[in-house]
Amino acid sequence: MTVLRYLFTPILALIVMAGSAFAQTPLVVDVTEGTLDPTPIAIPDFIGEDNREAEIGADISRVISNNLDTSGLFAPVDPEAFIEDISDINLRPRFGDWRVINASALLVGEVSIDENDRMLVAFRLWDANTEAQMQGLQFVTSPDNWRRIAHKVSDAVYERLTGETGYFDTRIVYVSEGDGPNGEPIRRLAVMDQDGANPSFLTDRSYMALLPNYSPSAQQITYVSFRDGRATSYLYDLETGRQEALFDSGPSLASEGQSLSARFHPNGRELVVSAERHSGHDLFRFDLRSRTLRQLTTHPADDVEPSYAPDGDQVVFSSSRGGQSQLYVMNADGTDPQRITFGEGRYTTPVWSPRGDLIAFTKQRSGQFMLGVVAADGSGEERILYEGYFVDTPAWSPNGRVLLFTRGDRTREGTTYSIWSIDLAGFNLRRLPTQGEASDPAWSPLID
Amino acid sequence: MRQALGFILSLFIHAGLIASALVAFPHARRMSEELTVVPVELVTLSRETNVRAARPEPEPEPEEIVETPAPEPAPEPEPVQPEPEPEVIPPAPQDEPEPEPEPAPPEPEPEPEPEPEPVQQPRPREPEPEPEQDSLDLNALSQLVDRSRDNAAPRGEAETGEQRNRVGPGTDMTASLQAMAASHMNRCIRSNADAPANMDLRVSLEIRLERNGRLSVPPRLIDEGRIMNSPNSYLRVAGERALRGAIECQPYPLPPEHYAQWRVLRVNVDTQRNR
Repeated sequence: MTVLRYLFTPILALIVMAGSAFAQTPLVVDVTEGTLDPTPIAIPDFIGEDNREAEIGADISRVISNNLDTSGLFAPVDPEAFIEDISDINLRPRFGDWRVINASALLVGEVSIDENDRMLVAFRLWDANTEAQMQGLQFVTSPDNWRRIAHKVSDAVYERLTGETGYFDTRIVYVSEGDGPNGEPIRRLAVMDQDGANPSFLTDRSYMALLPNYSPSAQQITYVSFRDGRATSYLYDLETGRQEALFDSGPSLASEGQSLSARFHPNGRELVVSAERHSGHDLFRFDLRSRTLRQLTTHPADDVEPSYAPDGDQVVFSSSRGGQSQLYVMNADGTDPQRITFGEGRYTTPVWSPRGDLIAFTKQRSGQFMLGVVAADGSGEERILYEGYFVDTPAWSPNGRVLLFTRGDRTREGTTYSIWSIDLAGFNLRRLPTQGEASDPAWSPLID
Repeated sequence: MRQALGFILSLFIHAGLIASALVAFPHARRMSEELTVVPVELVTLSRETNVRAARPEPEPEPEEIVETPAPEPAPEPEPVQPEPEPEVIPPAPQDEPEPEPEPAPPEPEPEPEPEPEPVQQPRPREPEPEPEQDSLDLNALSQLVDRSRDNAAPRGEAETGEQRNRVGPGTDMTASLQAMAASHMNRCIRSNADAPANMDLRVSLEIRLERNGRLSVPPRLIDEGRIMNSPNSYLRVAGERALRGAIECQPYPLPPEHYAQWRVLRVNVDTQRNR
C-alpha cells in the first residue's frame, strides 16, 4: 500500500498526459465567406401509375424546377444525367448515384388520383450528402390545381433549404401598357401567377388604371384611376370583382408617378395615401370602415409615396422638405419624421421590406435611374442593385428577398416598359414573362 | 512489487479505454429532425419509418405513405378570381417562363442635367432621350457583393519549403494550413449572406480526416442541440449548410506530411459578413 501511495500522484499525472495526447488539439479554421453558387438539386419527374398521373407528375416537376431555377438559389440538375430511375418514393434512394452527379438535394414525388378524382401529391426531400430526409409532405386537391400544388411544393423546398418562406404560390398584379387605335395610351390592370402563368385582365380599356397594391390578405387591391381629369383611388375586390371609389386624390391628371399610390396597413383596415388638398400633397390615413381621411403631415413641402413598415408602427415616404426629394421615416401617427437618406440625387418610391430591415427606393442622379436599398433606420450605406435608363415602382417579394421593378429601355420607337426582378444581392436579373409592355408591379402575399 | 506493477498496468489500460471513449462518443449525431407546421390541406409524411431500404424484401401489399389518413379532404385552393370582363391575355409564348438573364445590358446614359424638378410635379414618366449613354457595369456591381468568388482562389499555395519545416500551433505552418483549409471550405459551404442582417448565425464543426483528405467520420456540429432545435430557421439552415459543405469539400487538399496537424479540424463558420 505504501508503494501505491507513493505512486498515486505520478500515475494520475501520466493518465492526464496520456489523455491529453490522445485528444489532439484541432486545427482551428475560420470560414467567413462561403460560396454563393446555387445549390444543385435533382428533381426527377413525379411518378404516377397511369399516363394521366405521370403527365401531371412531369408537369409538376417542370414547374418546380423552373421556380427553383429562377430563384437563383438552386441549380436543377439536368435530368439527362440521372442514373437512378425513381420508381417508388418510399424506397431510400441510392444516394451515391445522386452524389456522383453533384446533386446536393434530391426531390422525389408521386401523383395518384382516386376514383373520386381527388389528387394526392406526395414528396420527399432528401439531403444527398447526409442521406437524411429533410421534408416529407403530401397534398390533397383536385387535379386542376396541379400548378398550385407545384408552387406549394416549391415553397416547401425553398423554405426547408434556405430557412426563409418561399414566394412561389403568389400572384403579381401589374399594369399592361398599350396603345389604342388612335395612338392613345391604354393602361389596364392585369394579374398573373408569379411565373407568368394564368394571365388575365382586371380592368377594361375605358379608363386608365395605375399603381396597384395588394392588401395583406391578397384578396383586395387598391389602384388609381384617371378619369375626367381627376385621379381617384379605388378598391378592387378580387373575389367578387366589385370595385369601389375610395376618395378623390386630386386634379393631377398628368401624374403617373407613384405619388398617389395607396398602400395598406398590415392590419388590412387602413390605407396610407398622399393626396392633394389645399396646398401641395400631404399624407393621410384612410379608414376603410368609416371611409374617412385623417391628415398625418402638414408640411408645406410635398410629402408623397408613403409605405408602412411591416409592423405598421412607422411610415416611410419621400419629401422635398429638405430641398431635393429624400426619404423620411415617421411614426404611423405622423409624429417624429426623420430623414434617412442624404446622398446625391432624387430619392423616390420608397417601399418597406416585408422583413422590416430595409427600404427599397429608386434614385435619379445625373440622368440615370437606380434601384437601391437602405437600412430602415438610415444606418450604413445604401446599396445600388441596378442602374439603367429608367427605373421605377419597386415591389418586394413576400419574403423580402427579391425586388420587382419597372424598367424602361430606349428603342427606336421610344421607351418600352417591362417588369424585371433582381435579388437582394444584385444578382439574378430576369425579365418577367408578361405579354406585351408592362409596368407598376405589385407582388401578392403568399396565398393561403 | 509484482502486484503493484500489475495494478499500474491495469490503470493505464483503463485510462486508455476512458480516453478512447471520450474521443468516440461525440461522433454520435442526430440524423433526423421533426417536421414542422402542417397546413390544413397537407399531410405530413412520416420520416424514416415508412421508407424502405433501397433493396426491400418483396412485399405483396403496397406500403402506406402516411400512417394516419388525412383528417378531411383538403380545401381546394381558392377559387379563380372573378374578373370584370372575361377577356384573357394570350399566354406568353413559352409555357414556362424563360427569363432572360441579361447580365449587363449597356444602358444609355443621358448626360448630366440639373434636377430642379418641383416636387409637386410627378416624376417624368418618359426619360428624356440623351445622346450619350452610360454602360451599366453589373459585373462591377456583382463583384462588390460577391466577394467570395473573388477570394475563391487557394491562398495556401505559396507555401515555402521553409514554412513546411516549421510546424506546431502558432507557427507559420499552422497559419498556412488554416488558410489552405479555409480557402478550400469557402468554396463548399454555402454562404448565409441571404439571411436577414442582425442574426447570429455562427456555427462550429468538428471534422476528422483521413490522411487522404476524406472524412474518417461524419462531421459533427458543435452545440448541435441548440442549433438544430432553434426556433430560428436560418440558424438551423446555417448548421445544415455547414455539415453539407464539410461533406462536399472532400477530399481536403492538405499536405499529407503535416497530417498530424490537420487530422482534426474545428471549423468556425460565420459567412454573414459576406453581404
